[in-house]
Amino acid sequence: MSTMSGNPQGPPAVVLAGVAKSFGPVRAVAGITMTVNLGETVALLGPNGAGKSTTISLLLGLLRPDQGRVELFGGPPDEAVAAGRVGVMLQDGGLLAGVRVVELLTMLAGLYAEPLSIEAVVAMAQLEGLEGRRTDRLSGGQAQRLRVAVALIGNPDLLVIDEPTAAMDVEARRRFWRMMHEQAGHGRTILFSTHYLEEADEYADRIIVLGGGKIVADAAPGVVKASLGAKVVRFVAHGAEETELARLPGVLSVEVRGSRVVLRTGDAEASVRAALQAWSDLTDLEVVGAGLEDAFVALTS
Amino acid sequence: MTGYLSLEIRRGVRNGRFLGLVVAWPVAAYLLFSAVFAKQPASQGLSPKVEIMVAMAAFGAMGSVLMATGPGLAAERRSGWLRQLALTPLDRGKMLACRVVAALVLTLPAIVLTLVAAAVVQGVQLPLWEWPAMVVVMGLGCLPFAAIGVVVGCLAGGEGAAGVTMALYLVLAVLGGLWVPAKILPGPLRALCAALPSNGVARLGWRLAAGAAPQVEAVLLLAGWLVATAAVAALASRRVVLAR
Repeated sequence: MSTMSGNPQGPPAVVLAGVAKSFGPVRAVAGITMTVNLGETVALLGPNGAGKSTTISLLLGLLRPDQGRVELFGGPPDEAVAAGRVGVMLQDGGLLAGVRVVELLTMLAGLYAEPLSIEAVVAMAQLEGLEGRRTDRLSGGQAQRLRVAVALIGNPDLLVIDEPTAAMDVEARRRFWRMMHEQAGHGRTILFSTHYLEEADEYADRIIVLGGGKIVADAAPGVVKASLGAKVVRFVAHGAEETELARLPGVLSVEVRGSRVVLRTGDAEASVRAALQAWSDLTDLEVVGAGLEDAFVALTS
Repeated sequence: MTGYLSLEIRRGVRNGRFLGLVVAWPVAAYLLFSAVFAKQPASQGLSPKVEIMVAMAAFGAMGSVLMATGPGLAAERRSGWLRQLALTPLDRGKMLACRVVAALVLTLPAIVLTLVAAAVVQGVQLPLWEWPAMVVVMGLGCLPFAAIGVVVGCLAGGEGAAGVTMALYLVLAVLGGLWVPAKILPGPLRALCAALPSNGVARLGWRLAAGAAPQVEAVLLLAGWLVATAAVAALASRRVVLAR
């Protein structure tokens, strides 16, 4: 039943084992194995098309995997959903039109064995004063807060949130994460997807990085941030040896093709300064601030 | 589950477009036709004002059921609401069952108001028990239309569903002998007319108005339609949640 999952015993909230899913020739998810433990807040980070939404659909049972196994709380997703243990905020999750906010929440509360009270959920989602408003007359931000309330009303053990802040302005985003932080404090397990490294870094206990339908990294935020925050330095230097290049300060990886060198570095200035000293004939210097997309490419290659 | 059912019924009752179309239309049509054809001879032992009353009640009832299912489901499928709902303990089967029951409840305004118009304006008189029996029998007879509505809601695009529903509504009503008596339809269409569920619903009502037991053929016809349409609806409804 729907107990707050501060309890560290019991099976993990989410297990994906070798899960794969294709749409026609497109391999959206190409073999993902991951675990989300009870009480954890985990971010699924990746650029558009990395397979985040498909992964979330798979773990909720909205899609059946071609291969692999999906478990929520040690059982099939359908059972966890039927037991009311999962609260979901989908990117394309609509609201029922033609009803008042309080009517919608009351109806939903009636579907769960141990729902939160309407007052509590209205307060959590900052919907005070909007209870009597029709759902189709809410502003974008208000509708988004109602989606938060819809996800919370069943008092779920696991909250799954797909790209919650994609359409939010800065203030709304801050407000949203304050709400979620409070929910994590209540012992709920939270899995959210995002393409903002900052968001994942700030709010997750752990970041799982997806790229091309695969897990590229699964680590603490600091580790992922350092690796994704790297820059790419390219130049041409005759006679530069791979071993020498790798010893330059800050360098994470080295690629040499003839006289063309590509470095990934956590400290571009130091690497470049040292490289200029070592190879005075160095030409065609280029430093690329690895955007998230570039960083993913770097991580996946 | 009862909360969802009652919310869906409330949504239907509040929907002005729905009430205007499926309630005002048959009542207005009844008032017009019953006045125009008042002098026609009786058929099936029924005076025109009774025969048309049943036809228009059936017309309103089937329209209520079609309109309460197809367009709404299609719109909610597109908005993502059905996907959200599927992630609550209310599974797809229960959700659709609630929608069908709500649609049957929503036949009440059209049937009741048509009968009231007949009684009040045209002075139609029936044995007292026949009035509620008429409401229940014709309402339940519309079950196949609920299955048809679910199929439309699951397969038609969000915008297309309203058009498809309206087209089905009119075609089934006209060919089912609700707007023109079956006997003036040309030969091949007459056979088709007798095979349509819209005609089956009206036949249940006509027999009841004549004080006779329900016609076995009409009951079997509607049961057959229900089995067939429910099977298609069960297949089509898989798309409700999974299709993106």
